[in-house]
Amino acid sequence: MNWFSFLAAGVLVYIAVAVFLFGTGYRVFQWFRVPRSGIRLGIFPQPRNKGARVLWMARDSFFFPQVLDVDRWMWLFVILLHLGGIAAFVGHLRIIQEFTPLVNALGDEGMAQFALWSGGTIGIILLVTVLYLLFRRFKSPYKDLSTPEDYFLLVLILVIILLGNHLRFFGDIHVADYREYLQSLLAFRPAFPEAIAESGTRWVLASHVLTANILLIYFPFSKLVHFIGAFAGNLLRSEKQ
Amino acid sequence: MNETREKTLVDILDKKMNRQLLYYLDICTRCSICKDACHQYVSTRDVLYLPAYRAELIRRVYKKYFTGMGQFIPALGEAREIDDKLLDELYQTTYACTGCRRCMFYCPFSIDTTWILSVAKAMLIAAGRGSQILAELSGASISKGENIDLFKDIIIDTLKSTEKELQEKVGDAKANIPIGKEGADTLYVALAGTHTILPAAIIFHQARVNWTLSLFEASNYGYFLGNVPQAKTIAQRIVDEARRLKVKEVVITECGHAYRVMSHFYETWAGEKHLFKVRSILEVIAEYIREGKIKLARGHVSKPLTYHEPCQVGRNAGFYEEPRYIVRQVASDFRELTPNRERNWCCGGGGGLVAEFEFDDLRIKTGERKVQQIRETGAEIVVSPCENCRLQLDTLNEKYNMEIEIISMMDLVVDAMVIDKAAN
Repeated sequence: MNWFSFLAAGVLVYIAVAVFLFGTGYRVFQWFRVPRSGIRLGIFPQPRNKGARVLWMARDSFFFPQVLDVDRWMWLFVILLHLGGIAAFVGHLRIIQEFTPLVNALGDEGMAQFALWSGGTIGIILLVTVLYLLFRRFKSPYKDLSTPEDYFLLVLILVIILLGNHLRFFGDIHVADYREYLQSLLAFRPAFPEAIAESGTRWVLASHVLTANILLIYFPFSKLVHFIGAFAGNLLRSEKQ
Repeated sequence: MNETREKTLVDILDKKMNRQLLYYLDICTRCSICKDACHQYVSTRDVLYLPAYRAELIRRVYKKYFTGMGQFIPALGEAREIDDKLLDELYQTTYACTGCRRCMFYCPFSIDTTWILSVAKAMLIAAGRGSQILAELSGASISKGENIDLFKDIIIDTLKSTEKELQEKVGDAKANIPIGKEGADTLYVALAGTHTILPAAIIFHQARVNWTLSLFEASNYGYFLGNVPQAKTIAQRIVDEARRLKVKEVVITECGHAYRVMSHFYETWAGEKHLFKVRSILEVIAEYIREGKIKLARGHVSKPLTYHEPCQVGRNAGFYEEPRYIVRQVASDFRELTPNRERNWCCGGGGGLVAEFEFDDLRIKTGERKVQQIRETGAEIVVSPCENCRLQLDTLNEKYNMEIEIISMMDLVVDAMVIDKAAN
């Protein structure tokens, strides 16, 4: 590992994960530290009981059906972006633990093909949806409402996706090598295995990890906390009067 | 802006901070879905009226003074200091808002913009920049409460002719409008003027209700102004009266915000539970019809009629079925507006806007959705149980040459009531 990789894809990974976890915890703590107003803000109609309330909250948080009324394209792209994000996260889990049942079913070659196609599709979907959200902000009224944070986050995520796609489509690093790299991180001795160190795409990998680290560090202090706050907001929506 | 004033305003944001507000300030992604929810933005295409932008002004102040990010890299979130320019913008965005909360319905995170704007109003008031007209109206209500003995005789005097009308209508020379009657079951809170007193008196008389009229009007300009202590004082006049008279329930006339103030806000403001039930006249009338306490001539109105759903009655208080039940008893050609219920458009006059002439042009312009909605139904009569909505609809009727008749729910009911004068 050269010094850049050691910092970006080594040391910084620990810092990023720690900041993300503690930062998120701190933000949640901040919310709970402030007393609630006794005024109930629910709008109508309201769910019949507590169980229904939780179901409505989940429906509103995961599918936000009312958005379909006003902007179908936005709804579609936002759903795809979030599903793509979750799918990409799940795909990366293969680096921690091989999806053995899938390998047994498809065979080694089949699994490689499947990973290429599914990972590739998700990468393209993410790319298109982020570009849509980014270009949307270039025109009024979105432009007038947007702050630099909005562009920064979208560009950062775009770079992560582009680098990830590069590794997927043009890289020559295999999952076993990534796994070895991850093991080195878990052992607190970050190092690229030989296959990565000699690969022409090692810079891309280091940059991919670096930008992902920046995102993780910034995450808890940005509007991305909506990934937790959305549930709270949508629960307040049906607060009983 | 001098430093003490700036500090005062920041302190207000600090004192007003609560968990709900903090969620709303932290999670907005500025996705702008709310732009198509707001009748003011849709009609003007001016970013000032985009709900998320209205909230963003306060959010930027919050970032500046309350977040590390706003301290270290203010440019990233456009964190901004409180200055005169900000207060000017805040005034325009905040007092123009009708408080319909349609944006909250469409927001994927259900952010209540009015909750954020309530802080903006508190800051504007502290800066001496609250709405002057609303402040005067609010002050007048409070002064009436403090000097009620002076007003009492005038009120009783005014009601004498109303009482005569009541007696003629129901054919009962003993029919009266009781004021300050101890031991009454129901305390009815009307609006200023007699137009919401007479129809209610007829309904209560026919339903044989042991009722009494409140000396105070239901409307609460302190609430529109955003001055919580004043809003509380205004509502407290009624609460004290209800306690003194030991009534079982307080019935609020057909009015959007007054019911919400009494039923959703007052207990938290005052830190005490109501000792009586709070009901809207809409549910009371629906109950009387269902129980046969009053009789309506079915199909009394044959002209096409539509129902304009006040935001404070529908989306914000949940009375969706009662008004429709009443209307269907009376009208043979009832036509729904599209969209309706929780998706219904604001008339454009809520939030005290009909009282603030500085927003006249805006509310006429932004009423165009409502005009279009009503025209699409072909209705000749529009019934709506909110005084603000009716005043706005009157203006729209005139400005857009709509040639419609606008009536209140109680007038609709009383006109269709079958009154057996011999039985009275």
